[in-house]
Formats: sequence, C-alpha cells, structure tokens
Amino acid sequence: MSMMAQDAKIDASEHSKGIQIRDVRKSFGDTEVLKGVSLDVSLREVVCIIGPSGSGKSTLLKCINLLEQPTSGEIWVDGIELTAKSADINAARARVGMVFQHFNLFPHLSILENVTMALRVVKRLPAKKAEEIAVRQLTRLGVDTLSHLRPADCSGGQQQRVAITRALAMEPQVMLFDEATSALDPELVKGVLDEMRALALDGMTMVVVTHEMAFAREVADRVVFMDNGQIVETGPAEEVLTNPQTDRLQNFLSQVL
Amino acid sequence: MEEFLHTFFDLDSIVAILPVLLTEGLANTLIISVSAVLAGLLLGLVLAMMLMSKLWIVKVPARIYVDVFRGLPAILTISLVGLGFPAAGIRPFGTSPFGYAILAVGLISAAYTAEILRSGIQSIDKGQLQAARSLGMTQFQAMRKIVIPQGIRNVLPALTNRFIIDIKESSLVYLLGLSVGQRELYFIAYQQQAVTYNSSALVAAGICYLLMTIPLTYVVNAWDRRLRTGRSRPKAVPVPSQSTMEVVS
Repeated sequence: MSMMAQDAKIDASEHSKGIQIRDVRKSFGDTEVLKGVSLDVSLREVVCIIGPSGSGKSTLLKCINLLEQPTSGEIWVDGIELTAKSADINAARARVGMVFQHFNLFPHLSILENVTMALRVVKRLPAKKAEEIAVRQLTRLGVDTLSHLRPADCSGGQQQRVAITRALAMEPQVMLFDEATSALDPELVKGVLDEMRALALDGMTMVVVTHEMAFAREVADRVVFMDNGQIVETGPAEEVLTNPQTDRLQNFLSQVL
Repeated sequence: MEEFLHTFFDLDSIVAILPVLLTEGLANTLIISVSAVLAGLLLGLVLAMMLMSKLWIVKVPARIYVDVFRGLPAILTISLVGLGFPAAGIRPFGTSPFGYAILAVGLISAAYTAEILRSGIQSIDKGQLQAARSLGMTQFQAMRKIVIPQGIRNVLPALTNRFIIDIKESSLVYLLGLSVGQRELYFIAYQQQAVTYNSSALVAAGICYLLMTIPLTYVVNAWDRRLRTGRSRPKAVPVPSQSTMEVVS
C-alpha cells in the first residue's frame, strides 16, 4: 500500500498541476459513451466542452471527479492520479468542485447547512468555523440573505448560486460545471453565468459543459467539441466557433447559433 | 339488548379491571411494542442497505430473510422464537418470555421495515448522492447525512402503518405464557373474560389500543407535514440579489 502511494507520488512530479485526461474510455453495458478521450487542462485555464446531447460531455466531466469510474484510461488532477488504485478518492474529490444541471442542493437542510455540511463532515471543521466560511462565501455570491431558508423556497438562480457556493467553500483547485444553466428560466441564466465569469477572472481552473455559445466564446480559453464519445475539434474559443474545420462542428454550430 | 350491554359494556367490570390494564397491561404493551419497533428499525435499516447491495453474497441473505419473515404468520414466528428458542437451549433472555416476545415481534417488523426503508431510500434522486460524493463525503457519510434522512421522510406514513401493526401484534405474545406482572393488555383482558364470562374487559383493552394507535397516526401526519414545509420557519420571499441581477455586457 505504502509502496504504491510512493509510486504515485513519484509519477505525480512528472505531471503538472491542472487536469490530465489520458485515453479515457467509459462503457455502460454494451454502449461505449467515451471512446478514448485525452485532454489537458492547465492551471487557471477555462475549457468549455460543447457538443450535441449524448456526445459524452457530461460523462467525461463526471469521470474527472470519478463520479463515473472510467472503464480504462488515466485521470490526473493536481498532480495526483485519481484512477490509481491507491488514490484517496474522497480527499481528491474535495479538491474538485462540481456544479450540477439540477443544482442537487440537499432539500432537507437549510441553505447554510447545505454549505457547512461538507466543511464539517469532510474537513471536520468546528461548527462555528464552518459557518464563518459559509457566510463569507454566501455573501460573495450574494445569497447570504437566504441562509435560513430551505432550497425549495429559493428560485432556480438562487439555488444554483448556493450550489456554486457549496462547492467553493471547500476551496477546490478545479471547478466542474455540468450544464449549470440549462435548467434555469431564461431570465435567471445571466446571473449564474456572471458568477461563473467572475470565477474564471479570479483564476479558477474550470471545465464547463455548456450550451451557452456566447459564454464559451467570451470566457473560455479553449473550446472542445465532442461528438459520439470523442473529441472532434479543440482550440482557442474564437477560432473553433467562427472557423470550424469539420462538417460535424459546422453542422452543430448551425443548429445552436 | 340488556344482555348485550352487560356483556360488552358492564361498567363495574371495566372499572374493576382498569387499574390493572393501565398499570400492568398498557405498560407492558408499550415496552414490548416500542422495543420491537426500535429493534425492527435498526435491523430493518441494515437489511435495507443489504437489499440495495450490488454483491449477491450480501443481497441474497437479506432477500431470504425478508421473504421468510414476511411470509410466515406472525403467530407462528412468535411461537418459533418464544417457545422454540428456549427449548433448543438458545436462551439469551433466560426463562422469562418477555425478551423472546420483543425479539419475535422485532424480527417480523424488521422484514417489513426493510422493504419500506429500501423503497424510501431508492426514491431519492441519484443526484443527491452524486452531490454529496462530489464534495468529498464517503459513501457512508453521504448515506447517513444526505440520503437516508430524506428517504425516511418519504416513507414516514408507511413506517407509521408498520408501528401500528407492531403495537397490535404485541398482543400475540400472550401465547408464550406470561406471568402476573408481565402480562400485556390483551392477555389481562382475555383472562378476565375467561374468569367472568363477560367481555367488558376486552372492550376496555380495545379502547386502550385505540388510544395508542389512532393518535399515533395523527401525530406522525402532523410531524410529516411540518418536515415537508420546513421547520416552522417563515415562508420565503425570494430576494433577488442586486449585484447578480445587473446586466453586465
């Protein structure tokens, strides 16, 4: 066990910070949804993943914090191989924040408790300290007035901001966004995108699965186009979105723009 | 008509038996059923987790347990445990039938409770577990803090139903031969009926059961409503945050 952990450390030095995805494959039963995907995300980089539904974007994102276990391939985050048998997955996950399409707030807890829960259970902070951090983060996202409400009493936009807060409170190295604005009413989308933009400007390393092309164009350092379980095109946002090289991307863009 | 009233509602008989019913019978019925409910919940939760396991070696024993204890008549299980165990030399509770009675009712209750809890836990959206795990919680922490509390809330009415059945089934332990001091409601009334050939004591016992079972339903329903609407907190007025509503171009 300790030998393996040491090996992992030695390997880690060869890998930079950020995220490295190496030939990741994922099958559900007989269906292969990721067919050998490799992608590097450097520190402070914002990568937007676009593509038609069923192209494997969300699955790839969930592989990055091992909510989905890849069938094969390697995933490195912050110099640690998550796919190694010896990896402490829970510790690694605490450093990768994730925001979901349907918010996934805990409905039986107050907004404040939603944020303090992992601080107390995972980081084992005392109640007072956890609340301090939670209130500070909730204030930063402009939702501190909701502290004592239940998620059901908040709007979708507020819930998603709380979800972002909940992830940020753990001080992640990397943030993953899984169609974070897809379930929102149109008038609430902008507020959440603004928070994501602010986070990007703060230098957070981000992987964003999105249908918001304007956001991708403006905020992303790089855009990745996925189709049918593979990365088809990748490059600087402006280049990929205005000058698509493949028919598939041209087709996709003509439908969403 | 007078004979009917005398047989079922003889006030003198009721008044005579009431002190024993309340001090001995009600107390013992409560001890047996509450202990059995707690044992059933605890074992039921373990069984529910086993039922949801992907490993057949964990799942199959729980499945068999649930099928067997749900499939047997309660009176047979109580006899098997209460009469059979001591006779076979399995005597964790000595010679007193009380412990065996609790064990038997608890074992039956666990089988039903397991299925109720399993359906409750499985009704919780997968995203809840994913969100908890994405924050770094272990599977155990995520289940204990996030999934199970919500799951139990979803099946409170069904659990209440089971508790009521447990209270009623506690009467079946009379057949283990309870001595004075150990008797529960039904057995006291039954003995009185046998001695006096008058059913008023049974009616009195029946009223005692109803006084437990009917309020329980309403108390749990009220609790359930409160959980659903939030802990008596003021209803929310969504406050749009100014800073984030501004249009940034």
